[in-house]
Amino acid sequence: MNESTLFALTFIIYVAAAFFYFAFIFSKRENLAKVGYNFAVIGLAAHTVALIMRTIESGHAPFTNMYESLSFLGWSAMLAYVLIEGKFRIRKAGPYFMLIVIGLMALASSPLMPSSATPLVPALQSYWLWLHVSVTLLGEAFFAVAFITSIMYLAADSRETKGTAKPDAISAAKLDSISYRCVAIGFPLFTLGGLVFGMVWAYRAWGSYWSWDPKEVWSLITWFVFALYLHTRIVMGWKGRRSAVIALLGFLAALFTYFGVNYLLAGLHSYA
Amino acid sequence: MKFLLDYFSSVKLAIVLLIIITLASILGTFVPQQRTAAEYAARYGQLAPLLITLEVTRLYHSWWFLGLLFLFSLNIAVCTLTRLGTKWRRAFRPSVKADATKLKALKISAEFRMKGSPADAAPSVKSALRGRRYRIRESGREGNIELLARKRTAGLFGSDIVHLGLLVILIGGIISGFSSTRRMLTITEGATLDVPEAGIQLRLDKFQTDYYPNGAVKDWKSFLTVIDGGQEVLQKSIEVNHPLSYRGFLFYQSSYGYDWENPRFEIWAKKTDDSEFLDKLQSGVGETVPLSDEKTEILIKNFVPDFIINEQNQVATRSLQPNNPAVLIEGRQDGEPLFSAWVFAKFPDFSQMHSEREHVFTFELKNIDSAPYSGIEMARDPGVNFIWAGCIFLTLGLFVAFFWPPAEIRVALSQDQDRTSITAGGIAAKNKDALQEEFDRITASIRSHA
Repeated sequence: MNESTLFALTFIIYVAAAFFYFAFIFSKRENLAKVGYNFAVIGLAAHTVALIMRTIESGHAPFTNMYESLSFLGWSAMLAYVLIEGKFRIRKAGPYFMLIVIGLMALASSPLMPSSATPLVPALQSYWLWLHVSVTLLGEAFFAVAFITSIMYLAADSRETKGTAKPDAISAAKLDSISYRCVAIGFPLFTLGGLVFGMVWAYRAWGSYWSWDPKEVWSLITWFVFALYLHTRIVMGWKGRRSAVIALLGFLAALFTYFGVNYLLAGLHSYA
Repeated sequence: MKFLLDYFSSVKLAIVLLIIITLASILGTFVPQQRTAAEYAARYGQLAPLLITLEVTRLYHSWWFLGLLFLFSLNIAVCTLTRLGTKWRRAFRPSVKADATKLKALKISAEFRMKGSPADAAPSVKSALRGRRYRIRESGREGNIELLARKRTAGLFGSDIVHLGLLVILIGGIISGFSSTRRMLTITEGATLDVPEAGIQLRLDKFQTDYYPNGAVKDWKSFLTVIDGGQEVLQKSIEVNHPLSYRGFLFYQSSYGYDWENPRFEIWAKKTDDSEFLDKLQSGVGETVPLSDEKTEILIKNFVPDFIINEQNQVATRSLQPNNPAVLIEGRQDGEPLFSAWVFAKFPDFSQMHSEREHVFTFELKNIDSAPYSGIEMARDPGVNFIWAGCIFLTLGLFVAFFWPPAEIRVALSQDQDRTSITAGGIAAKNKDALQEEFDRITASIRSHA
């Protein structure tokens, strides 16, 4: 079995996980969510093996072009979700989260994305590639979970104020707390991987740790938005709706850093 | 002064500044930075002069953006310092006071009774707390005992370490802005170049391009010798991502190319009336070479690697790659001009010959060779050590702040007839759920001794 077959298999397992999660949402049968979760874990394992095979086949880190980095982001997001669900039992987030992961995987395998394992250009031949990209994407994966739980918060909050919340629903307060916890894990990782490791690598490769390149600026913007989230929350006591909106904006900024900058703005950082 | 201090110690100011800086940064990514006035005029029309005056076109280096960053750093410094005193006292000289009514009002709290006097009950309370790695301070009044149990107190200072890191990074940025130097050096293979900034000479012993099997470039390597005070002091090969460092100067492999100032090539001269005739003339620009007929000589007047006729109707080179090499030659016989011609390596039949008199020569351009040069970026940045120190504080502080949350449990033990009434409360700024869980276990363990 080669890497692309395994990637396809992973995709199918994720789709199965999403199917069971949605079946759970509609039927309210708890054991369907468990099946969904198990499929997600098996998919994650298959995905891990696929990434390892990709690394062995290409001889470099599995995130040097859009296909690879999307697949790796999908993997990170899945890992973050499996950890968060394992800890907080937020099964209702499962179906929506699976949609994001499946979306990433579908995008990765779309013919628009260059997928062939090409040899690395000289600037990317560095162990900083591993450190910079993997830690950054892992941080962003937690932002993605916070994004989903913030959307769920907004929905739960409006239902609770209208009094239409179902008794078995996850409370808005709990979703708010989970969003905060995800940002609290994602923020240090993103700072270390995206900003610190990025600066060190830029200095090693280009001789300048900061060049105000659009990708650099957008990762700083993402960082500012989450800094805003944390300060308004911890120091000024903001919670709930306003916090959720800032978390949404933060993840959108992270997405724009990841995709938008490459397609809409030109710059030094033109790899992925 | 007091007013200023109050103003800058406000978190609201910090948040407003953060929002303004974020919006400005976004603007800067959509307006291309540091282009020519003509480009802005073409892109923004009448808006262009305004953008240039407001320095939106060099936003991140503009006075107002730097001013915002300065205000923001001042804000961070004042905010951090004004709160540090209180935190310091809380961490190192805490009050051990535990007031039962206040403890009961906390979100995390418990109340129960144990046998015996407070002095009898205290050991089991303390051992339950110590079992969870709490450090305990104690005070007693009139037979009552008050306990302050804390752990991960260092976590209180996480955010201060983060802020210190940010300030150090900003200081590093200022130092970089004022005193960093960068220059592109080009050295051809075998040549020695003076680098006056560093007070050294740099010799390129060899330049090498490595390829992947499919032909894509894998790496560029420059084998360099550092000559300091006439002595060869260091030999090192540099490649992309692996610069040479010498006395605070860094030398980066940055680009490569060919030295088209001094190319070598062959000009093949043929005669239309004599198919046997072939002269292979080794030459370079500015040279005069005689043909074997002993009366004609060829002057090599010009060479371009990528021939093009530009808008001014002049010969120019489109690039520094040998895409369309061409040489301008002039033929003379007995001191009189005979012809002049552009000879193209890739289009041998396309020689543009302007002949003064009739002749039988045709020419071809062959075996073009030029010394490769290595483009080496020299950089010195005294600010960079501040940046790394700041990054270490920043990262360390964040991990302390988020993964080392301080926890505090206060316990009041008071005599209640022949028994002891125990009130306990837990305080955590972050991770309240985790403390609640731990608090429940601790109280359960104490009760099991009761």
